[in-house]
Parts: sequence; structure tokens; C-alpha cells
Amino acid sequence: MTDSLPESDSSSNGQPRKTVKQRAGQVRPRRSKKPADAADATASRFYGAPMPGITAEELSGSLIVIEGTDGSGRSTQISLLTEWLESEGFAVQTMGLRRSFLVGEDIDALLAENAVTRMTLALMYGTDFFDQLERRILPALRSGLIVLADRYIFTLIARSAVRGISRDYLHGLYEMALRPDLTFWLSVRPEVAFDREFKKSHSISYWESGRDLSLSNDLFQSFIRYQSMVQKEFEYLSKRHYFVEIDGERSVAEVNAALRKRIARQLGIRGTHYHPSNALAHLWR
Amino acid sequence: MASVIQNVPESARVAQKESGKYPGALVVVEGIDGSGKSTQLYLLKRWLEIGGYRIHFTEWNSSPLVKSATRRGKQRKLLTPTTFSLLHAADFADRCERQILPLLHGGYLVLADRYIYTAFARDAARGCSPHWLRNLYSFAPVPDVTFYFRAPLDVAVNRIVAGRPKLKYYEAGMDLGISLDRAESFRIFQERILNNYDQMIETDKFVLMDGTIPVNRLQKLMRQIVGERVNMEQFAPKKTKKK
Repeated sequence: MTDSLPESDSSSNGQPRKTVKQRAGQVRPRRSKKPADAADATASRFYGAPMPGITAEELSGSLIVIEGTDGSGRSTQISLLTEWLESEGFAVQTMGLRRSFLVGEDIDALLAENAVTRMTLALMYGTDFFDQLERRILPALRSGLIVLADRYIFTLIARSAVRGISRDYLHGLYEMALRPDLTFWLSVRPEVAFDREFKKSHSISYWESGRDLSLSNDLFQSFIRYQSMVQKEFEYLSKRHYFVEIDGERSVAEVNAALRKRIARQLGIRGTHYHPSNALAHLWR
Repeated sequence: MASVIQNVPESARVAQKESGKYPGALVVVEGIDGSGKSTQLYLLKRWLEIGGYRIHFTEWNSSPLVKSATRRGKQRKLLTPTTFSLLHAADFADRCERQILPLLHGGYLVLADRYIYTAFARDAARGCSPHWLRNLYSFAPVPDVTFYFRAPLDVAVNRIVAGRPKLKYYEAGMDLGISLDRAESFRIFQERILNNYDQMIETDKFVLMDGTIPVNRLQKLMRQIVGERVNMEQFAPKKTKKK
């Protein structure tokens, strides 16, 4: 499977993108003249055939994905970005792994038992993903919201790929997923991720250290080896899916500034000045 | 509608090639509700059990791991065609990885009441892409024999409707919005499934079984075919030969 740049057709008039709503307004009249475009646009917003009844035209919002391992600062950045976007007047919806009403808690239970096998887990995560896609992401995008995804199909593909499930299988599984407008990868070295995670929770989780793969009895070694394997998959995915890689080892403020700059360009926001409110000031270390 | 058979992805072909690498054998029954397949598989199982063969019986939708999710989804009608399909695939994967594959590698004759073809026929009837479904289940070993029990739609539907006080929501395909009447919806849904099964007869090498033949005669035929297609000696009670 090959990928191409996400939805480049909509800016083919040479204008930089304006806000989401303006963009939708610009595009629609043009499409009504050439109805064939609608099918093309739908195809470009999805990796493969979209789910039945979904068309791209009605999705006026933007999907922005933040990927990165535990300890890369994803959740911190999403909290800050949400506040910034809301202050700019954009409504934000978030999604993340295991947050579906349908199976979110069931996956938690499966993980706690450690009895689950790789394929079952991959498909439960797939169920969780598509439930959120259909019930949360697509409705939000139809209403013109900005969806901030705390991880996306790339983490799911990478985790399953290091467990030996074929990449072709995984890409096929997620072919109905929506192509993000922007995908950021907050990359940190496994050693740094280890330090941050240990500081935060004083332990390292069974799954984040890939203990089901029996890589090493030494938990630190197991964590480093597992995270390095996942990172390799990300490097592969990064080229294929045009990730915007950001050095996650920089300070929260620096990473946030880099994210804001790129998102501002995408959404047509002029100024990128932002300072967190008192409620989030503790994150601004 | 595109055939369920066409467009088998490359990943599926790879999985199929590897499926012969075990000493066990897999016999499955497929068909719409009321086609008589479960009765026939039960009788086959009894025959083999009484004979002391190394067998294991498995049926669709029985894994405790994903039961709570399936129940919640069905009770509250939360399932879309995609999540319905994925949840059943997760359930099947659990059974496949923890039961079917280890048993096949351990030299068992595995009998399955419904298999991946149920998902192909049913989920495609709900609108899932046949190509996507083929990929989804490509990790499953290919059966040695697939019996397809076929009864005319009216016969099968009447058997089910007569025996059940109320058809369940998803069972009747009510989520598709075909008809507000459950019996009517069930009938149309089953017809679509039947058509999808029919398309797989040749490509998936189904053994067609006429569900209107008397039970005992059909069972005799089934036993004969199993005997021809599966080397039964390797599952027979061991006497002098050792593994």
C-alpha cells in the first residue's frame, strides 16, 4: 500500500488554507460543478474504501494526531493545545486508545489478565478504534471540530508489527481509517522515556516494556529493547505517512511552540502566541 | 454486489499456504440458521466420541474474553457493521489462537460449528467490504472439509421462526433498517446471507449438503465424506502404533 499527501486537492487553487469553515465554503461550489471530484476527495481522505455512507465533503473539521511512546509528553501537549485552540475559537474533541464506550474497559481487563494473545488484542484495539471513529471522530469532523488524537492507528500498527503480525494485514485492517490532516511524532530515546515514566509512576508497565515478548528478565533492558523495536516501526511509518517529527526531549514550551507553529499553518491561524492559564501552568515546566 | 471470493489479499494467501503445517485436521459446517448444520455436526461428533477419536468441538461466539463487550454492544444496540464484525473477529481470534491452532498442532481433529465463512457471508450482508473481511480473517487456518448445509430459504426461516418466541435484534438484521417487522427483516437478511454463501461454493471448495434430506441419511453421507477426505486413522484410538 502506498500513501500520498493528505487531501492536497482542496488547496489546489494555490491559496493557503484559511480556517476550516472557510475552506469548506471555498471547496463546495467547485465540487458542485464537477461531481466526480467528490469521489476523489472521499478516496483521498481514507486509506482505502471508506465505511459505507461516509463522504469526505461533509467532514469539514481537521484531524490532528499526536504519536509518541509513553513518556514522550503527548498528553501534556494535548492539554495545552486544547486550551490554545479553544482560546483561538476552535472547538476541540479528543480521542485516545481504550476510550471507546464499547470496549475500552474490556481492553483494560484483558491487559490486566495477561492471558490475551496478540491477534485478539490487536482486534480488540481495532474495535475500540473504529467505535471511536464512527461515534466520536466522524461526528465531530462533520460539525467542523478539531479532533486531537492522543495516538492513532500508527501506534496500533507498530505494536502489533513488533509482535509479528504482518504489516500488510495491519494496513488492511485499518484501510477504512481516516487519513489525518497532520500527524506529529514526538520522538524520545527509550532511555529518556524510561526516566520520565519511572519518575511519574515509580514503575514500568508490563505492556510498555513488552514483557509478553520475553525479551529480557531485566525490566530496564526489556523496556529499552521493546521501545527500540517500536521506534523502528515508527521510522518506517514516518516516511510512508509523512509524520512531522518533533524532538520530544526538548522542553514542554519548546515542543508546544513547534506544534502550534505547524498547526497554525494548517488551520490558517495568524498568531501563535500562547501562555497557559493558571489551571495548566504546572505543565509548563 | 462484489463477490466475497474475489480480491483475496496477498496476506491471506501467505496465511493459507502455511496452514498445512500441522498434523491435525479441521472440519467445519456452514449454512444459514435452520439449515440443519448444528444437528449434523452434533451427530458427527457423537459418532467420533463414541469411537474414541481425538477430537475437539468448537462453536462460534463462545470465548469468555470478549463476551462482556459483545453483550453490552448487543443489549444497547451500539454495534455498527464494522464494530460488529471486529468484535466477532476478536472473539474468533481468541478461539483460534488459544484452542484451534494449538489443537491442530497437537494432532486433533477439530470440529467447528460455523467458521470464517459465517463472517464473510453475514458481515458482507451488513455492508462490510468483502476484501476487508478476507484480510481480517486471513490468520485462520483453511479447513480440510467445509460442509455447506443448504436448505431453501422458506424451510430454514420457518424452522427458526417456529422454534423461537422472539428473534433477537442483530440476529434479525434489524440494525440494517430493512423492515420494521422482525420476521420480515430476518427473512430478507437470511436471503442475503444465503446468496453470499452460494457465491463461495466453488471458490472455497464447499461440500454442498442438501438440508432437506432426512437427518439420518444426510449423516450417513457426511460420515462417508469425512472418511474420504480426512485420514481418520491418525485420530483413532492408539493401539499398537505410537506417535
